[in-house]
Amino acid sequence: MAEEKETKSIDQASIELIEKAAKDGVNTVFDRADAMKPCPIGSVGSCCKNCSMGPCRVPLPKGREETPEDKQKRRGVCGATAETIAARNFIRMVAGGAAAHSDHGRGVAELFLAVAKGKAPGYEIKDEQKLMQVALDWGIEIGDRSNNEIAVDIGEKALAEFGRQEGELITLRKAPLKRQELWRQQGVSPRGIDREIVEIMHRTHIGVDQDYKNLLKQGVRAAIGDGWGGSMIATELQDILFGTPAPVLGKANLGVLEKDKVNIIIHGHEPLLSEMIVAVAQEPEMIELAKSKGAKGINLSGMCCTANEILMRHGVAIAGNFLQQELAIVTGAVDAMVVDVQCIMQSIQTVAECYHTKIITTSPKAKIPGAVHIEFDEHDALKSAREIVKTAIENFPNRKGGVYIPGEPVNQIAGFSHETINYLLGGLFRASYRPLNDNIINGRIRGVAGVVGCNNARVKHNEGHVNMVKELIKNDVLVLTTGCNAIACAEAGLLVPEAAREFAGKGLAEVCETVGIPPVLHLGSCVDNSRILIAATAVVKDGGLGDDISELPVAGAAPEWMSEKAISIGQYFVASGVYTVFGVTWPTTGSKEVTDFLFKEMEEMYGGMWDFEPDPIRAAHLMIAHIDKKRKALGIDKARERVLYDMEMRRELDAV
Amino acid sequence: MEYKIEKKPAPGRDEVEVLGDTFEEGTPEGEELGKWRQKLDSREDKLRYLQSGERYWFSEEWFGSEKRKTPA
Ligand code: SF4
Ligand code: SF4
Repeated sequence: MAEEKETKSIDQASIELIEKAAKDGVNTVFDRADAMKPCPIGSVGSCCKNCSMGPCRVPLPKGREETPEDKQKRRGVCGATAETIAARNFIRMVAGGAAAHSDHGRGVAELFLAVAKGKAPGYEIKDEQKLMQVALDWGIEIGDRSNNEIAVDIGEKALAEFGRQEGELITLRKAPLKRQELWRQQGVSPRGIDREIVEIMHRTHIGVDQDYKNLLKQGVRAAIGDGWGGSMIATELQDILFGTPAPVLGKANLGVLEKDKVNIIIHGHEPLLSEMIVAVAQEPEMIELAKSKGAKGINLSGMCCTANEILMRHGVAIAGNFLQQELAIVTGAVDAMVVDVQCIMQSIQTVAECYHTKIITTSPKAKIPGAVHIEFDEHDALKSAREIVKTAIENFPNRKGGVYIPGEPVNQIAGFSHETINYLLGGLFRASYRPLNDNIINGRIRGVAGVVGCNNARVKHNEGHVNMVKELIKNDVLVLTTGCNAIACAEAGLLVPEAAREFAGKGLAEVCETVGIPPVLHLGSCVDNSRILIAATAVVKDGGLGDDISELPVAGAAPEWMSEKAISIGQYFVASGVYTVFGVTWPTTGSKEVTDFLFKEMEEMYGGMWDFEPDPIRAAHLMIAHIDKKRKALGIDKARERVLYDMEMRRELDAV
Repeated sequence: MEYKIEKKPAPGRDEVEVLGDTFEEGTPEGEELGKWRQKLDSREDKLRYLQSGERYWFSEEWFGSEKRKTPA
């Protein structure tokens, strides 16, 4: 059985560090994934542990079709059917994801209000234009009031959306009118961000909601409250506080670490503290302190979505995505890894113990035994940031030998907010999505895909992301990306304008070259998926491509998803009318009814639906087929086939 | 935005002040391309930009593909 060992990543730098970890005797996520296979019952949603009469397992019969008798027997102790169990599990994932995004949004809103009231020194309102924009959106008086006065109203209104009990979220007003109406008809307009999440927890408790369709409906409602609520609030307020992203040049991959400098990696999701660390790391006293310890300076880089946030606004380099967090430490060159919330593996502390890295937790919500905890105090953020940077600098002399930083960093251009896309396409005096719509109508751009989401240790690192995106752009589909997909694309060199010539189809390449944009546009972090919703809405509102998102030639995907947040994102994409394909595994296949509802019936109700295809190329083809279906419905399918006749061809025609 | 005033010789007169270019020379590239929000400095400019640039949401006259719809 001399099988050649499959590599775990398509990224050479990662492969080298996986090998180094093995040599150093360090256990990583890749080893653990090999050692522990996923439970086949839980992974298809057929296990319930919502009460202590369980856990109850209700698997499908192996190797044969289920008979009606089998079906009768597939029940938990309380009588819950396999459908109920699968639907409950699914919407609990939505609740987890929506809670994570929305609690992030709440944290931003709290800081925002403190800044507006002058209680958070070090922060200020950086983007007055976005402040005006949100004030107009939310019906807040502008007049001659100061920015801070307006911001106090915005902050209070934002916070109230989380605890709102009735009516509908104000942020839903951004959506296309037809979509808003459809949500009302279906009874899924969220009343309040928190309320819908709490209601999921209630309805999935033993003995409450036992109709899978009714359960899934609540999942839709909570997910809309995430994408069009909590996440959107996070994005909007972060833009006001830290600036709306505009194109910036940055670097990506583990090669951004520098041997001679103090390396600080900021990992997690919220930009609140990292903005301050970026500022503090440039202070002359800090640089002097670093030099006094023998370093040439301070080198900041990011990981996961915090990386995307500080890249989008400051051009700070990205060291890697989810599956690269342990590998960064394995270089032996990371003096501190500063973490806040979400997607932080507990094992980074164990890996750090093999080297010299200090793991610094900063959120009271997320601690790790063994790590240093320096709590981020938003009322004195600079103090927290200075303490963190100092801890990193003081750790520099503790480096052990054997520092190894593989590979060269790759260039990338990020910062494509909706506002910037609008400006780039139309200019300052007539910002517009018209050129995009025109090019979709004339077929140069076949459609638009939002490709997002995590890494997953069950599949080869970055392979699904990069293969899918390449296949899409080759077929003239413009890709909008966020999260760990964006980082994978950056590492593969897809986020630079030159990538259009090399990888994109002729039509898309022409458009990219004319506008000067890459064929894959980096829109930011996971909460910034709300930017994709806004961009899609702008395409609708510009006109010529139907009057709802569900009519657009667009599709969504998360080829390497793993987190509950990804499920929430997918669910609000689908609820917004987008065909959305996930890879790796699908968590409801234990129930045919639940899966059919998500994959088929949702299309009739919302115009968008889920799909599952683990092969990224096949998944890309499914997306393209959906895009073509929508083009046909719009009557623009012919545009792609139109042939320009030259004189000779005309003469031939005349001769007939 | 700030208007540029240029001095130009005029026939039969000394130099006169005329309004200069209101556009930027050439196509911005590299970092310059990214710095577009800084170009709007007064609140009026920003609000005017929102009315035209973000007309999909803020212009009274713009409804795009939604013009046939009664307001939600
Ligand atoms: S809620 Fe029902 S299905 Fe779930 S563990 Fe309890 S008895 Fe089993
Ligand atoms: S894309 Fe997934 S893995 Fe990456 S930071 Fe977001 S939730 Fe975490």
